[in-house]
Amino acid sequence: MQKIKFYGIGGQGAVTAAKILSVAVSLHMNEYAVTIPAYGHERRGAPVYAHIIVDSEPVLLNCYVYEPDIVAVFDDNLLDMGVNIAEGCSGKAVLVLNSADPDKIARCKAMGCFEKIYVCDATGAAIANIGLNIPNSAMLGALAKTGVVTIEAVKAAVIESFGKRGEKNGNAAEYAYEHTEEA
Amino acid sequence: MPIKMFDGNGAAVEAIRLARPGVIAAYPITPQSSIAEHLADEVAEGKIKAEYVRVESEHSAMSVCVGAQLTGVRVATATASVGLALMHEVCGVTAGVRLPIVMPVVNRSLVAPWSLWCDHSDTMAERDTGWLQFYCANVQEILDLQLCAYRISEHEDVLTPSMVCFDGFYLSHSMQRVDTPTDEEAWDFVGPYVRKNMYIDTKDVMFVNDLCPTDEHTEMKYQQMMGFEAAREVVPQVFAEYGKRFGRKLYTVEKYMLDDAEIAVVAIGSMAGTGKYVVNELREKGIKAGLLRICMFRPFPEEEIREALKNIPVIGVVDRSSGLGGAQAPVCTEVKAALLGTDAKVFGFVGGIAGRDISDGSFRKIFGELEEIREGTRQKVTRWFDAREDAMTIREVETC
Repeated sequence: MQKIKFYGIGGQGAVTAAKILSVAVSLHMNEYAVTIPAYGHERRGAPVYAHIIVDSEPVLLNCYVYEPDIVAVFDDNLLDMGVNIAEGCSGKAVLVLNSADPDKIARCKAMGCFEKIYVCDATGAAIANIGLNIPNSAMLGALAKTGVVTIEAVKAAVIESFGKRGEKNGNAAEYAYEHTEEA
Repeated sequence: MPIKMFDGNGAAVEAIRLARPGVIAAYPITPQSSIAEHLADEVAEGKIKAEYVRVESEHSAMSVCVGAQLTGVRVATATASVGLALMHEVCGVTAGVRLPIVMPVVNRSLVAPWSLWCDHSDTMAERDTGWLQFYCANVQEILDLQLCAYRISEHEDVLTPSMVCFDGFYLSHSMQRVDTPTDEEAWDFVGPYVRKNMYIDTKDVMFVNDLCPTDEHTEMKYQQMMGFEAAREVVPQVFAEYGKRFGRKLYTVEKYMLDDAEIAVVAIGSMAGTGKYVVNELREKGIKAGLLRICMFRPFPEEEIREALKNIPVIGVVDRSSGLGGAQAPVCTEVKAALLGTDAKVFGFVGGIAGRDISDGSFRKIFGELEEIREGTRQKVTRWFDAREDAMTIREVETC
């Protein structure tokens, strides 16, 4: 069982990404997932969270994730918005961070709460491949580096979820996967 | 049957599509909105061949549904929270004129304070309006129970509407794999709607819901009561047929590790899976814990509950609504009544109000207290188990 928490900003598609991750592991890896979005007051620009539990067996737990194995941060501005991305992480968790800012990456390392940090400029990947500042598909590509989901499953789920924009989002995911580095 | 991906709202829409309604009237409300939206999409795209009536409120939505179904067509609607509260009057009409409407209700707290998030205060407030009530544990059950609800509600001995209740966000927005029957398989199970009681027909005019004199009203309620009694027989039959056709077991009450249990929790809705997870954990430590999930709340399955919980000395009941002013919150009140005359010690717990998470930690605390009761080291439980300690001082206003 892998417990995953997504941190994003309203409008970036973090909740949609959680649903697509569920499609990827369920339909393309024959595993199981539950996804619980934690909506605040629904508006763009506010922090949003999504909780995902993935397992090879049907998932019994149906509650929030308090001690994540994997944390995905869709926007490094969250570090300055009073959001503690290391909550519940005691050194064993893996962080997947959307950032191109060496200072913010260093701050995440200095937290000492993550065993591994994968960094990807998912926003850049989204702009380059989709032409939009919506990093969710790219973040799913970066997430594949952790091994919780395969890049093939991510691509297939992204392509079928985004309809007309499927191909471009699939490219963003693959591009991000190839450009994700361990920090 | 193919595996499809749906969130809870999507599964409700799929079940409605499979039941081929002829009229839809729904008003969007968080967290139900995507049901109203996707039903509109499916009608616009021709996937559901129905008249979609855009109404200005939930009161009107149910009024349209009542009028339409009286003409002999299956209808569809869905709601949540204050939308259901606004529908309350017409919900009574639906039940009283014996219209077997099946309605998904996405559980969300009632006001005030304003909230968008899950608890059961909305449907528990409707528990005596004459509707059958089913509470789902996962997204698969939303599809399964809704398809079954058409058969149960429309059975000639039942003729009583159904609410298929599922937790807002925890299920409505959780994307899960759903084993989905094909259109033909589902239609073969659900079948066309046939009007069996009162109807509106210009060629055969009758009074419907006219002023009923005192010397007949009691008897009309008696008929409704007999519909509920019939449902006790029909529900297991329909669940058994569904299981045979589609390979999934459905429950009025689901027993989990109860046979040798010394402590047990009674749960309802999406919290049950988390409770089972903690039961597994406790069993590994040698603690004989068990769980009973109530899936059918109306009619209340008191005999099944009494049988399932017999010989368990300490029982906790978790309500996801506050039951203000009651002897206990609604689920606990009924479980206690079912266990009257047994030696079980029954304790009510209230929590998960307005989206507060009922976590594995919550169940560890509840089971922990029940175990202390069993050992004799504790007399009372923390009834409001997840309330903050500063409850009486937050938002305090000084009058001037």
